[in-house]
Amino acid sequence: MFDTRDGALPTSAAGVPGGLRGGWYPFWASAVMLMGGAVVMYQAARGIHADEGVFKGASGVLDLVRFVLPMLVATYLMSERLLGFYLASGAYTAYYSGVTARYRWYWAVAGGVGIAVATYLIFEVGFASLLPKSFLYFLTDGAFPF
Amino acid sequence: MEILGQLAGGFGTALQADNVLFLLAGCILGLIIGVLPGLGGTSGVAILLPVSVLITHEHSATTAVIFLAGIYWGALFGGVVTSILFNIPGEPWAVALLFDGYPLAKRKGKPGVALTSSFVASWVGAFFATVLLTFLAKELADIALQFGPAELFAVFVLSFATLIGLGAESPMKSVMMVAFGLLLAAVGFDTITGEPRLTFGQIGLLSGVNFVPVTIGLFGIGEIIASADEAGIGFVEQLSAKVGLKDILETLRALRSRIWLVIANGVIGFFFGSLPGHGATAGSFLGYGLARQWSRNKEEFGKGEISGIMAPQAAADAAGVGSLVPMLALGVPGSPTSAVLMAGLFIWGLQPGPLLFIDHPDFVWGLIASIYLGHLLTFLICLTAVPLLAMIMRAPHGFLTPFIVVISVIGAYSLNNDMKDVAVTVIFGLVGYWLRKMKYPLAPLVVALVLGDSTERELRKALIGSHGDWSVFITSTGNSGYPISGALIALAVVLLLIPLIGQLRRRRSGAAATTAHSA
Repeated sequence: MFDTRDGALPTSAAGVPGGLRGGWYPFWASAVMLMGGAVVMYQAARGIHADEGVFKGASGVLDLVRFVLPMLVATYLMSERLLGFYLASGAYTAYYSGVTARYRWYWAVAGGVGIAVATYLIFEVGFASLLPKSFLYFLTDGAFPF
Repeated sequence: MEILGQLAGGFGTALQADNVLFLLAGCILGLIIGVLPGLGGTSGVAILLPVSVLITHEHSATTAVIFLAGIYWGALFGGVVTSILFNIPGEPWAVALLFDGYPLAKRKGKPGVALTSSFVASWVGAFFATVLLTFLAKELADIALQFGPAELFAVFVLSFATLIGLGAESPMKSVMMVAFGLLLAAVGFDTITGEPRLTFGQIGLLSGVNFVPVTIGLFGIGEIIASADEAGIGFVEQLSAKVGLKDILETLRALRSRIWLVIANGVIGFFFGSLPGHGATAGSFLGYGLARQWSRNKEEFGKGEISGIMAPQAAADAAGVGSLVPMLALGVPGSPTSAVLMAGLFIWGLQPGPLLFIDHPDFVWGLIASIYLGHLLTFLICLTAVPLLAMIMRAPHGFLTPFIVVISVIGAYSLNNDMKDVAVTVIFGLVGYWLRKMKYPLAPLVVALVLGDSTERELRKALIGSHGDWSVFITSTGNSGYPISGALIALAVVLLLIPLIGQLRRRRSGAAATTAHSA
């Protein structure tokens, strides 16, 4: 669609009217990053800041995935015509508090419903800030408010 | 003396019962709007602009502007609450508070001191800014107009220079983060030619990478992932938002030793805010960077240093006041919020600009007096009502983690009503976690992303004006006749060299110690 290579090479300031072309700025930003990266790699190779960037191993990574994956699924389901913002945030809260934090099921459900209703009242009713709705909202022509 | 008389008249107007009530209502509404993610001072003033029109049916335009300005002051205070307690900026200008506000609240266990420090700094900074507005509005507007592209570019370079080395053992990591931020800011339409760049054919990237979802991701989502990694899954530390007398006394003691820093940042923020188009966000970053440079405890920055809270907050609030200068004196909005306020002036049949001081002195001086009162009122409300606003912080951690995810999503989505911004937030949440793990400082990245567009625009405008002659940044005198740009660039170079010299000194003394030990 657009040729992103165009203007990606630096030109002399006086080479074009107006001094710099569009690629000058990102080119030099990338170049500085690259040079910085080379220095950091050199420092790492020489053992300077050797204590940095330690992971806890495979179990730590698995724990992280268990935490991040439901969050990613929930944010995806918040899209319009899927679960929508209110239902997905309610379901995520209920899942998180019930499954991850191991609260009793009725507290988890109450928390999920509470978050969904509270955000609806504050943003939709209070500030007329429209957030994505679920497929049920569209199926019922807005009769189902979430 | 004439000004004092006019100000006394302004207080007479602002202290009328209906004006005080509307000011109070505006401050409380602004505070709530500031605390809520996705709703800022600008959107709050815009949403309630029709209400101000209704107000003018029964009351004067002065009452209406006092109400709207109250919302702005309330939002300036309220935006800090989520920054300090959740690590999620409620407002763009509260981003700089993430660097030390949250660490002071979480790591040092002093959320009350963190909150009161920001409120006190807001009030003191705004007070001095309002004094400047009272006496120097016209003169400062003239000076601001003397800043050309070269001078503005030099100001931005100075902002970056103050942040190099921030929070990282390796200044090179800070340099990389600044470059990364500038690169992200370059995505989308070229600000000068309008050509798309770095979009890889994606229409969604044409409008560029907005810093709000990036910041929410880096700090909000990134932090809870890091918490889960460090303290175990499902764990988000609960912070009490109670503000007690002990916190207030500790803050006042801290303020006593930092009073000049707060006042200086108030003055700098005010002047920065009065530069048309810049405003509170850039002012707060500059304030933070300067506080770090001036501090004797540089290594404490990023770990909960009170100066790192007071300085940016004083500068941000003062910049908010300063943004009214070009609006009142020249009819040019100094910030997005003052642009909405200016729209209100037109709706109420007032013409902003120099003649406003002559044709409608009651309006101008009523507004200025209400700034003194509005900040005092909001300050007092904050000290008493923050525990109520932040009751959610006492929620059990099983609800707190999903709640933080939910408000992060709202904050990102509300920007453009676009799920792509939510995707950006999530992606940068993971990036933020990774960078945190690798000990890259996040602050320089955010500052560069926020100021990147303006920096490039001013750089290229200056070079267009000089026909590609780079010496313009040293020799330019703007409209002032003084080489302001050269002086600022020289200062930036000095600030850049300081960490390098420090490192060399440390290395040399280390080598000397090793030699002495082996001898």
